[in-house]
Amino acid sequence: MSVNLQINNFWIERNERQLCRDLSFSVSDGELVRIAGDNGAGKSSLIKAILGWIPIEEGLIRLNGEDITHNRDLLLFDQIYLGHTPGIKSILSVNENLRMYCPNASEVALNEALQQVNLELFDDTPAAQLSAGQKRRVALARLWLTKKRIWFLDEPFTALDAHGVAALEAKIQSQLESGGAVVITTHQPLYHLSPKTVELTP
Amino acid sequence: MNYRSFLKSEWLTLVRRKQDTINALLFFVMVILLFPLGVDPSKAFLEPASGGIVWCAVALSILMAVESMYKEDFNDGSLEQWLTSGLSLPYLVFLKVFVQWLVVIVPLLLVLPLLANMLFFPIEQLMVMISTLLLGTPALFFIGAIGSALTVSLRRGAVLMLLLILPLYIPVIIFATGAIRAAQSGMSYSGQLAILAAISLTALVLSPLMAALSIKASMN
Repeated sequence: MSVNLQINNFWIERNERQLCRDLSFSVSDGELVRIAGDNGAGKSSLIKAILGWIPIEEGLIRLNGEDITHNRDLLLFDQIYLGHTPGIKSILSVNENLRMYCPNASEVALNEALQQVNLELFDDTPAAQLSAGQKRRVALARLWLTKKRIWFLDEPFTALDAHGVAALEAKIQSQLESGGAVVITTHQPLYHLSPKTVELTP
Repeated sequence: MNYRSFLKSEWLTLVRRKQDTINALLFFVMVILLFPLGVDPSKAFLEPASGGIVWCAVALSILMAVESMYKEDFNDGSLEQWLTSGLSLPYLVFLKVFVQWLVVIVPLLLVLPLLANMLFFPIEQLMVMISTLLLGTPALFFIGAIGSALTVSLRRGAVLMLLLILPLYIPVIIFATGAIRAAQSGMSYSGQLAILAAISLTALVLSPLMAALSIKASMN
């Protein structure tokens, strides 16, 4: 499992404001990239631009050497993206939410993932009754259930308690060790991980 | 996520949210009830007008149903997950509209015989009315899906959406009521039904593509 994502000379503008210009970096297997910058610097926008739903003014993006600037499908099939709003349907139960995103996961794997994120007692609870942190942990449980090579985690630590942060850090570590790559934005200090930092400055 | 699990979760969501379906149904019944009560309860008025009354009520309750169809997906971040799932966005839109259509239209068709009878609509021509509904309502849903996608990121997009899509509803309503009137006066109505089917098929092909484009643009 090897992966190499190259971002070349990205130029992103939003609402007439330049977020980055000539930004280049690469992510390969076993690498953790942290996108840093002040609030509103465009960290989330950079991830959305990489995933292809914010247009870029200029730039090139390659996955394993292949130019995917105009068609990101190759990248999309091989990644998990978790944004600020994690896409958890409030009317469905925890189990049904995870089944929607990971239809091929076995019942055993599902229970194990819920245990990892400390939600094993909430299997049948409607997501509407969960707290913000619990909802985020439902979304994070997907990381245990699918094998994707690149993770894009936008502020994954928000609303998580200490136990959740430790579990997520450990999971990121194991993803890196198994040859995956992780792109993360966060303001919190990382205790056990040493990321490569990409600074967003206007 | 794959297409099957997506379809299943959409179905579950709609089935759990019974009040939306019931609202659309109640609205449909109320609008139809207003005509005999508010205008004229006589057979001379209701019988020729029944096709138009039923179709106006159907169009209005469909508008209610499609108006906010992606609102929650937008708010809870599901739309972002659709975009990054690697699945075809037009196909996801198609599946969503199809499930919505099924959940809204089947109850309407079930109460239709009763209401048609109340409007003095000849029972032997009920099949014509049901055919116009089956052939015409998919167009209303698919057109509505575009408007709903265009206004998904707006806070008060409902009125704008009505202005956008109501003009596009007019041809469907004209041909549907035309078919019913032709049937009532003993003329051939297959032409109107064919046009209704054509409009629905065109909407079925174009709308998911356009709704997908609109969703992408709204997510910017």
